[in-house]
Amino acid sequence: MSKIDKWNEKIWSFFASVDLAVALFIILSISAAIGTVIPQQTEPEAIVKFFSKFFSPVTSMKAYEIVSLLDLNNIYHSWWFTFLLFMFALNLIVCSLDRLPSLLKSFKAPSYPLELESLEKMPIKKKVEVISGKILDNLSKILKNKGFSINIFETKEGIQIQAKKWTKAKLAIYLTHLSILIILAGALIGTFFGFRGYMNILEGTGLHFAISDTGKAVPLEFEVRCDKFEAEYYENSSIPKAYRSYIRIIDNGQVIKFNGKETVVVEVNQPFSYKGFTFYQTSYGFQPSEHSEFRFSYFDKTGKEYKIAAKFEESFPIPGTSATASVIDFFPALGIDEKGRVFNMDTNMINPAVLVSFDEKGKKTEQWIIAKIPETWETPYGKLKFNELWGAQFTGLQIRKDPGVPLIYIGCILLCIGLLIALFLKPITIFAIIKKDGIIFYCPSSKVSSVFEKNIDEIINKLKGEKI
Amino acid sequence: MSYQIISIAGLLYIVAMPIYIVYLLTKNNKVGYAATSTLTLGALIHIYGFFQRFKEMYAINHSIMRSIPITNLYESLVFFALCLVVGYLLIEWKYRKKSLGVFISIIAGITIGLTDVLGITKEVQPLVPALKSNWLLVHVTLSFIAYAAFGISFITGLLHIIMDSQTKKSFKYIFSTTLLGFMLFMFISVVLDIITADDPKTVKIFHSTLGNSSIFISIISWITLGALIFIVWRFGHILSKILNSLKIDSNFLENITYKGIAFGFPIFTIGGLVFGAIWADQAWGRYWGWDPKETWSLITWFVYAFYLHAKFIRGWRGTKTSVIAVVGFIVTLFTYLGVNLFLSGLHSYGSM
Ligand code: HEM
Repeated sequence: MSKIDKWNEKIWSFFASVDLAVALFIILSISAAIGTVIPQQTEPEAIVKFFSKFFSPVTSMKAYEIVSLLDLNNIYHSWWFTFLLFMFALNLIVCSLDRLPSLLKSFKAPSYPLELESLEKMPIKKKVEVISGKILDNLSKILKNKGFSINIFETKEGIQIQAKKWTKAKLAIYLTHLSILIILAGALIGTFFGFRGYMNILEGTGLHFAISDTGKAVPLEFEVRCDKFEAEYYENSSIPKAYRSYIRIIDNGQVIKFNGKETVVVEVNQPFSYKGFTFYQTSYGFQPSEHSEFRFSYFDKTGKEYKIAAKFEESFPIPGTSATASVIDFFPALGIDEKGRVFNMDTNMINPAVLVSFDEKGKKTEQWIIAKIPETWETPYGKLKFNELWGAQFTGLQIRKDPGVPLIYIGCILLCIGLLIALFLKPITIFAIIKKDGIIFYCPSSKVSSVFEKNIDEIINKLKGEKI
Repeated sequence: MSYQIISIAGLLYIVAMPIYIVYLLTKNNKVGYAATSTLTLGALIHIYGFFQRFKEMYAINHSIMRSIPITNLYESLVFFALCLVVGYLLIEWKYRKKSLGVFISIIAGITIGLTDVLGITKEVQPLVPALKSNWLLVHVTLSFIAYAAFGISFITGLLHIIMDSQTKKSFKYIFSTTLLGFMLFMFISVVLDIITADDPKTVKIFHSTLGNSSIFISIISWITLGALIFIVWRFGHILSKILNSLKIDSNFLENITYKGIAFGFPIFTIGGLVFGAIWADQAWGRYWGWDPKETWSLITWFVYAFYLHAKFIRGWRGTKTSVIAVVGFIVTLFTYLGVNLFLSGLHSYGSM
């Protein structure tokens, strides 16, 4: 054997060994754990601060130097963590390639009787004394009924039976390992060809670009408009119940239709996709702007409804009367204290309310109108319902393009299937030698000792049953 | 209220423990029957409490899927205890062995007791939108079933190590007795915490002992902890003798340790990792983000993968693998509770 071949062989067996896998489990675990303790992807100051909880300032600075040298502040994307994952993948590939051929061969191989010697070496053995004339027939029948496929040989020690069940389930382990590789491949594709970012779109406006996670503005081929944003809250609480954005996509001057509709509703857990980009509702916030407007419904005596929209402090006429009105104050979350005074509780629109000033020929009155409380809509000039302050909230959308995701899903499905088979369907082989004074059962693998015991017990019970 | 019903279940678990002990000592079948009945009754009341809570949540959420009570720390602990007891009862029924009952009943009882004293919010809380997902529901349910399976492996693994340890200087012996001593101390401490707390809603663990504001008590507590560990270490062989004389056979323990992991591992992979990733993908637009909770789940996964590989490919046998099972569950506990208490993340069990 040449030197190169020897080296090749060494490298191969290094990557084919399960010892490496077991070592990598430990190393990867420890590295991942470090990453949850040391602050990740923050400015240096946060890390120095973190260390100064335990060490003196000077040591903390030193610690920071080590951290930045080894990328410990960005472990999961560091060169050495990537390298470990690469080793992990290589280990899986080589290990599988190393073992798969002999496994496949073992499925096809013609079976032959084993020597007594090698049977005796097997870790599990059980002797049963059953004597009856038709023992071979009975035993074969029982084994077949239990789903075993059997081979029978005449040997000098007696009749040898080889019974196998679910041997092909061994392939499930390879499926499991393959699925892990598929997931890693999906993740790799995502890192190289994917994009992640966010868009904060003010209600009533649209954006042509997204901000990537690295902070760059990335132009999009289309415009994302948010026509309306709404948040619902649990009663008397600032816990949001649901929030949603009404989105339109404008591409090349055309409004795109989704299932025949121009407007798509995006909610938490209900993303939508366009041109490979997926949009997720993730956050929102209060942000009054120039185009914000207060929207009212006015009902005259006959119950006829008039829609009114007005900017802050802009006066508007009350239809059918000589009065005008204007909004002079706004609370997104109006609350009332013990003394009956109103105050604002929150910047979220939990209980939006407007203070409207009415003016009828110089006679001024003021009144709070609360969107959620109908009694407050009644004014001296008729029923004025406050609907909403439109254009004063932004919707936070996460945007992502990840061509690796289909692979991830495929990998996950295969992983589930592979694991369930590998851990719940145990391949089992049973050898039996029928002698004059009884049967001896052997099992070559101690992995399945309990399955073996159970099977043998049942077989014996049945054998005894048949005899009676 | 549902939590009062669940407290009754917890009480029954604690009552079941001494009965199990008496059974193990006397091997009297009637006593054994009484022990199993008490535990089963506890489980039934527990399930009833679970449904009661479901109803309370349904009154708020008006949706069946959204009302399954596993959405905060309290509910998840209660569900964990329920899985543990039900899982054990299945094992008892299948293997006809009651030896683990002592440990399961006390752990389930303590878990529920802890929720009673730790000042964890027991009120039914409304759901924030991110939690309104069927994926999340299955994710959490399966995760806790897996945790319970790992919990059973932990108990059997630990017993196995204690029983099989020959010398006091061996790593395994020191490891298991230290752990046991610490657990014992924690239990005593929690009892003291309850007794001395002014307000049962604000009990803090170790407040009356290690973390006491009086330095004197604190030091005494540390010494007690050390002494306790020493005593367990010194007299651990008696424990191991007792266990041996109770005829808890170590093959049974090793087998259950493996069964727990072999059952828990795929459930955890599917429920914990895969469904968690799918949920995160749909809710946040990323299937994996190295959030501390995710990272620690991955570590948990690695530890149990280590167990399976070491056991089956490297051919490790006996207590060596049991140590991995014990470490695995400590990591699991950290994933479940520690991450929220010590590290921050997206998941919602954080706030007590
Ligand atoms: C996190 C990653 C991995 C997981 C989840 C995993 C999972 C499994 C499982 C469940 C089994 C079956 C154990 C049993 O017999 O019940 C198994 C077996 C095995 N694994 Fe892995 N594995 C992983 C990584 C690896 C790696 C990196 C290697 C590379 C050497 C490897 C090599 C093997 C081998 C050789 C077997 C035994 C096959 C046999 O029984 O003939 N595994 N693995």
